[in-house]
Amino acid sequence: MAFLELNRVSFAYPKRGRSALTEIDLALGRDEITAIVGPNGSGKTTLTKLMIGVLQPSGGQILLDGRPLAGYSLGEIGRRVGYVFQNPDLQLFCGTVAEEIGFGLTNRGYKPEMVEERVQFYLDYFELGSYRHVFPLHLSRGEKQRLAIAAVLANEPLFLILDEPTTGLDAYRKKLLADYLQKIARLGRGMILVSHDEPFVGRMAERVVTLKDGRIQSDSGRKGNTAHES
Amino acid sequence: MNLDPRTKMVMVVCLSGLALLYNTPGQLLLVFAVTVALLMIFHFELGVIRDYLKPFLSLMLFLLVIQCVFSPGGKVLVAAGPVPLITAGGLSTGVSAVLRIMTVAAAAMLFTTFSSRDFILGLVQWKVPYELAFMVSIALRFLPVFRDELGNVVTAVQLRGVELKKVPWREKMALYRRLFFPVVYGTMLKARQLAVSMEARGFRVYPRRTYLRRLNLLGADIAVMLVCLVSTIMLIALHFT
Repeated sequence: MAFLELNRVSFAYPKRGRSALTEIDLALGRDEITAIVGPNGSGKTTLTKLMIGVLQPSGGQILLDGRPLAGYSLGEIGRRVGYVFQNPDLQLFCGTVAEEIGFGLTNRGYKPEMVEERVQFYLDYFELGSYRHVFPLHLSRGEKQRLAIAAVLANEPLFLILDEPTTGLDAYRKKLLADYLQKIARLGRGMILVSHDEPFVGRMAERVVTLKDGRIQSDSGRKGNTAHES
Repeated sequence: MNLDPRTKMVMVVCLSGLALLYNTPGQLLLVFAVTVALLMIFHFELGVIRDYLKPFLSLMLFLLVIQCVFSPGGKVLVAAGPVPLITAGGLSTGVSAVLRIMTVAAAAMLFTTFSSRDFILGLVQWKVPYELAFMVSIALRFLPVFRDELGNVVTAVQLRGVELKKVPWREKMALYRRLFFPVVYGTMLKARQLAVSMEARGFRVYPRRTYLRRLNLLGADIAVMLVCLVSTIMLIALHFT
């Protein structure tokens, strides 16, 4: 069964003439890494925001783990789906880098020792250890990106949506990120990568969905299917 | 109604001034009703005004409760044993505080009927230094930015798996308190980045500014301004006699 399922989902921003997304059908499992690609303005970020309930579809239905997404609170969605925003500034809100990574766990009642252990692991892995006590918005673009990813991964969600995760990352940090994502994918976490970074998509994605003008133009590499164009 | 931005600014100042001056629910209700009526003349529908005021609801409720409890006076309406909880005086102060916020916030909607460029132009033609006018316009622009910023943080917090609705009230307040300063500081950082980016694009590079367009006060503008100013001065005089 698909973990995230979109049935004829459409969306239009208020006061804008045209529809941002039209009748999108997608079924995404926890056993694959899917890339969503397409030109600027094709609806990629809008599609991911619909998947996490930040935007509500104007038509169609979204199912998360077999239940309508509309029936979940944002907090319930957040426990299942980790979302890395396109702009990390929008999701960093704590006073220090360490607090940022441990925020979700602390507020979900994890023991401080366990939180600290997890925080230390992600600080080390994403090479943010020397910034432990730094205010997150004082970091560089690439460091903020690494922190935003670390803060989401620390929550260990079942499914990940990463919107332009490689923006601002150097080649070495991209490799670190790719290695980690592949490792957790092998542990049964599905993920969606929205990206313009073709080499990264080529290395990571088993399936590539191409959007154009708010519609699915192609969906290649689906498990059990050959390349499909619509 | 097509009025000069300066006329609308005078209207906002008069309405907000009266809202700050008055302290009884009856007077404040009247000023609020006049504000809503004016907004409707400027083609704001009631639903739009309601939606605009909705984000202030939690602040209004908070103030109502605080004022009710901490401004006791007059007849006791609700008591817990010998301790008076809500008094007529406290309730009146609380309702007044809510009406005051609603009036000031609703009057500020008039600022959305003209561009920030016209706002600056209007003030500059009234001999307000450009830098000061620009600063005020940026401050006004930052209010919705700050509101959006808070909205983003609330969304981001929930997407980290925290169910805000289920967090007990006391813990929720502690959480908001902890998030407040990083958000304010983040907004200040963005303001500083804006200043750097403006200067990098030549802001204030020449000491004298020139303007392509001029705003002209028409007869209707002068009449409306006079009516607003005279009636406000009269109401203030009446209030103190």
